[in-house]
Amino acid sequence: MSGTMNLLIGLAMGFSLLALASSRLPSVIRAAAFQGMILGTLPLLLEEKFHWLVVAVAIGTITVKGFIIPNLLRRALRAANIDREVEPLIGFVPSLLLGAAAIIGAAALGSELPLRPEHAKTLLVPGSFATVVCGFILLMARTKAISQVCGYLILENGIYLFGLLLINTTPLLVEAGILLDLTVAVFVIGIIVDRIQREFDTLDTRKLTSLRE
Amino acid sequence: MTPGWLLLIAGVGLVAGIFSAFKSPRVWLAATLAGAVAVFVAAVCMLASGVPWNWQPDFVIGGEKLHLQLDGISAFFLILLSVLGGAGTLYSSEYWTDKNHPASAPAGRAWWNGLLLNMGLVLVCANGLHFLIAWEIFTVCAYFLITRERQRPTARAAGWLYLAASHVAMIFLFAFFALLAARAGSWELGPMREHSELAPLFWLALVGFGIKAGIFPLHIWLPSAHANAPSHVSAILSGMAIKMGIYGLVRFTGWLPTPDSAGWVVAALGVISAVLGVAFALGQHDLKRLLAYHSVENIGIILIGLGFAMIAAAHGNAAWGQLALAGALLHVWNHGLFKALLFLGAGSVLHATGTREMSRLGGLWRALPWTASLFALGATAIAGLPPLNGFVSEWLVYLGLFDAISAHGPAAFAAIFAAIALGLTGALALACFVKVCGVVFLGLPRSEIAEHVHECGWRMRLPMLVLGAACVTIGLAPILFWPALATASAAWQPELANVTLPAPLVTLGAFHLALAALVILAGIFLWRRVQHNGVSRTGTWDCGYAAPTARMQYTAGSFAGIITGWFDWILRPQRHAHLPKKLFPAQADFEEHTPETVLENVVEPTASLVMRVSTTVRQLQHGRVQSYIFYLLLGLVALAILAVMGGTK
Repeated sequence: MSGTMNLLIGLAMGFSLLALASSRLPSVIRAAAFQGMILGTLPLLLEEKFHWLVVAVAIGTITVKGFIIPNLLRRALRAANIDREVEPLIGFVPSLLLGAAAIIGAAALGSELPLRPEHAKTLLVPGSFATVVCGFILLMARTKAISQVCGYLILENGIYLFGLLLINTTPLLVEAGILLDLTVAVFVIGIIVDRIQREFDTLDTRKLTSLRE
Repeated sequence: MTPGWLLLIAGVGLVAGIFSAFKSPRVWLAATLAGAVAVFVAAVCMLASGVPWNWQPDFVIGGEKLHLQLDGISAFFLILLSVLGGAGTLYSSEYWTDKNHPASAPAGRAWWNGLLLNMGLVLVCANGLHFLIAWEIFTVCAYFLITRERQRPTARAAGWLYLAASHVAMIFLFAFFALLAARAGSWELGPMREHSELAPLFWLALVGFGIKAGIFPLHIWLPSAHANAPSHVSAILSGMAIKMGIYGLVRFTGWLPTPDSAGWVVAALGVISAVLGVAFALGQHDLKRLLAYHSVENIGIILIGLGFAMIAAAHGNAAWGQLALAGALLHVWNHGLFKALLFLGAGSVLHATGTREMSRLGGLWRALPWTASLFALGATAIAGLPPLNGFVSEWLVYLGLFDAISAHGPAAFAAIFAAIALGLTGALALACFVKVCGVVFLGLPRSEIAEHVHECGWRMRLPMLVLGAACVTIGLAPILFWPALATASAAWQPELANVTLPAPLVTLGAFHLALAALVILAGIFLWRRVQHNGVSRTGTWDCGYAAPTARMQYTAGSFAGIITGWFDWILRPQRHAHLPKKLFPAQADFEEHTPETVLENVVEPTASLVMRVSTTVRQLQHGRVQSYIFYLLLGLVALAILAVMGGTK
């Protein structure tokens, strides 16, 4: 059981690195979407007994993160007629190296933390830390609003992963609420992206400095 | 009529003045003068009867019930406000007319009434919140009056400096009143001397009111603001607005307990302000700036009196404290009167010549006989010469100091020092006004602008005459004003309620009358000699040099050169000299400028340091979202490290 799960989490970490290494926006979106879908299946593996609520959570997560949000982003890409290039502030190789360092650091940190025995042998905690840091790197190192949304999604995936530790105690409503928040956030950002594009003729968030005062 | 109705009439008059300021200058003049007269009558009634007036309607402003109160101290300051306000109002109707200043005169009249109204409100408010509101409004009104000539960059800079300094003062006053309200449990003001835990708040009040009063070294805003404001505004600023700071100090040292060292600190600040104020005044070449520094000096004299009164109050209300307080309070009036007279006189010179630079004036006595005579009267008064009012109040302070010395009390040594400093101040002030009168009114005109001038009209002359007459009256009959002083002293400390008229004051009054009679007799004698023998004009003795010019006269700088040399360590004058060198010297020039040392050497370096640091820190806020996220991450990491380290402990 934990073998499958570790494999999936490892795969998710791989997608974070892929998002860091991609030079085109659609592939960043795709990486974030696949990561979301993989993580969406995890609740099914964590629960020993079959429970329709867990299935509902998994299906909801996969639908929203794997289809709805990426579609919203792609539509924003098309509607705002954005150049597909990712414009990195930190280059792809340094980003990757940072991501790798984050994964190593997260693994080291995970082994230090006093975890419960059933969580100690899984990659849940290191995986979640690594994903959060990769999300942060993506947020910091990219200039276009869409890639920042992807960074935000990956960041959220990391938090979600950490939340799985508590899946037995977290009510369904909280899960559903988080998902709804995320969708609305992406929806709003999609609108903002369009507005920024119209106002500034670019999606470079560096241009937003003119709004600081 | 009760004081309440009179104050209501005054308030209505001043508000009506604000509304008529733009449309009808005549209505404004009448309404404002009526208001001033009503305030004057109300305050005199209160001081004569000795019965405080209280008014607490069920009227809430800002969550606090209105509470107006007219007691001895309020009435004492209100009289000065009404006299100076009335004089300035009439003066400005000729000095700052719609014809000469079409853009700034109408609004100036409205701000003027706002200033008078709110200073009056500060004086009668007995609620901390309303006190602060009125204080802030009068501060802002004064700002707009100072910047009447806002097309001049110096006037804008002066206004800005004034506004900044006033708001620093306001921060301290906010802290003072808020802490007072928090500790006393209410914004209501009143005597609370038994709450000894309120004593430390005095220091906040000292800084807050001290900036407004222009105590050295908090006076940085004062010289440029007084110099650049229109002259009637300078008169009210110097005569009344800085006295609001003194009012605050007198009021709250009377109502609240003070720390043990408070009196000593106030007296020491007084000595510093008095001596250095006059030293800076000697270094000035700008007529109004010079007068402004004399305000610092006179505030110092007032504080010496107040400080020794506070020391005496802390040691069982010795009689010398009473004298010192009476001297301080009377000097509030006197300084208000003669400084306003001098500023109005300076305004008349400025009106006639268009310059405040003393080195371009000269020989104005013949062209401006009224202005020159009245200015000389004010100069005699401010220099503390008998038989005028300046001598009376300084005499009372001296009496207090001498009695403190002979009482061998705790303040004996300090009183010796203060008396010497006061004497030094008087001597320097005399030198300074000899310089002013000599350079501006005597000799020959130093430039063309000083040649063709005309005397001011009666609306500028009458206020000066009234102020001059007040100076003479207080000088000749000081006993008449003793009841007012006694009532105000009793309002400060109830223990001082039954004080007798000091015998030396009676003697002084008689001496002044005799001296005045002698002066008049001598004048009549001289006048008859002149009539009898006739006057013949001849050239000034020129040491055999046949072609003297007006440029060979003593200048303001050369007259005061020796004395300012003594104070070089603090004045730090900037001198640029190209002295004559060869046998047949070609060109030579000399330039001297005394800057505002505290501002340029203390405040500005500190401010630029703060500016540099904050500019550096401000670069962190550049608007790049990516970096903000990085800050966020750094913060999180720092928190995590903190949590982990805290966990291991």
